[in-house]
Amino acid sequence: SAGWRSPREGTGRAAAMAGGQDLFDAIVMADNRFHGEGYQEGYEEGSSLGIIEGRQHGTVYGAKIGSEIGCYQGFAFAWRCLLHSRATEKDSRKMKVLESLISMIQKFPYGDPTYANLHEDLDRIRGKFKQLCSLLNVQPDFKISAEGSGLSF
Amino acid sequence: MKDSLVLLGRVPAHPDSRCWFLAWNPTGTLLASCGGDRRVRIWGTEGDNWICKSVLSEGHQRTVRKVAWSPCGNYLASASFDATTCIWKKNQDDFECVTTLEGHENEVKSVAWAPSGNLLATCSRDKSVWVWEVDEEDEYECVSVLNSHTQDVKHVVWHPSQELLASASYDDTVKLYREEEDDWVCCATLEGHESTVWSLAFDPSGQRLASCSDDRTVRIWRQYLPGNEQGVACSGSDPSWKCICTLSGFHSRTIYDIAWCSLTGALATACGDDAIRVFEEDPGSDPQQPTFSLTAHLPQAHSQDVNCVAWNPKKRGLLASCSDDGEMAFWKYQRLEGL
Repeated sequence: SAGWRSPREGTGRAAAMAGGQDLFDAIVMADNRFHGEGYQEGYEEGSSLGIIEGRQHGTVYGAKIGSEIGCYQGFAFAWRCLLHSRATEKDSRKMKVLESLISMIQKFPYGDPTYANLHEDLDRIRGKFKQLCSLLNVQPDFKISAEGSGLSF
Repeated sequence: MKDSLVLLGRVPAHPDSRCWFLAWNPTGTLLASCGGDRRVRIWGTEGDNWICKSVLSEGHQRTVRKVAWSPCGNYLASASFDATTCIWKKNQDDFECVTTLEGHENEVKSVAWAPSGNLLATCSRDKSVWVWEVDEEDEYECVSVLNSHTQDVKHVVWHPSQELLASASYDDTVKLYREEEDDWVCCATLEGHESTVWSLAFDPSGQRLASCSDDRTVRIWRQYLPGNEQGVACSGSDPSWKCICTLSGFHSRTIYDIAWCSLTGALATACGDDAIRVFEEDPGSDPQQPTFSLTAHLPQAHSQDVNCVAWNPKKRGLLASCSDDGEMAFWKYQRLEGL
């Protein structure tokens, strides 16, 4: 006889069925077994749902960032054309800041969502854009997303 | 100990409102006050009395939170909750608003002039710090928008002799900035406070920075240059700032302001428990681990929160304070012998 077994040791279904002496194990351990199976099923379902949800979240936020940066780029290109034809010495800082904004936008790693300085770089672009608006003395009529730094992941 | 801080006078500077901040002009002859009544007032002495010399009432639509004199003393900047900063030019006793700086999305919380007078910094609830450059024709151009803080920025202050800017925030940190290739960058983050950092003050040498917080402590930070003898690690060529002293257990509420006297080295604090306190560094204390003693404590300095303390830059021991009760007060601080 196997005698008393600690429920903590647990047991597989096969072991329970093997010897008649472990007949009661199937019942005693049912709680444990169903808990384990339930956990496994739930984990798999949760993982799959999580991937879907994460993908949706990423798409939405990625699109927001893309749309925001796209606005800055369009704004910067339009102003580069406007200033290029009639830039005087007084406009040198405007031109410098404009070029710096464009270069920051071009360097932004759009293909790498795991890029560590994503938020930092995005905040620098936002700052550069605000500085440019101030120098140009214009207030952009498109809404800048109010998230600020650090998205709500 | 109480006797070391003697009341010289009280003035209802912004009656039926809050008095938020005070600033002495560089020669210490004029004091600017600002408040919830949207006004800036300029005060001067006639005999023993403090007289209001001018009222700057046209300019702001909402509370004026802070004021700052330019190093030459001819300009005054006022930061307001209406999202703008006004620059006032002094013509004898009159002040004229020559420029309004726009750009912050909401409440401007603080303004400060660099020692050269060519740069101005502002900060706001919009989490940003702006640096402005002034040219000879009083034109202001934004040279940088810094988004380093993650929350409301409460205060900005410049190093007394270098172009090094410090900011304090609701995100519990202090950040330092310097110029780099046509732009400004955050070069240090001072972490240690456990709640909002409300104000900052450099010591006369600029080697140490004092910060005060909602966590009821004052912290003293010291600058360590790369290759320092003490072996404090620096990243690259930037100096590193290390907390070398924490004053805790003295204040029972939020500390809203701190002022480091350039003449005496005394540190004054303005606290939400209505008190003013003065600390002095113990003679002979280790520069790497200095100790400070409370040399004056005035529990009921005002009837409500004390918002600001300001040492006169020329008269030793003359301290001005202001409060939510709308009043400002003048104090004579003298360290008693044998303390």
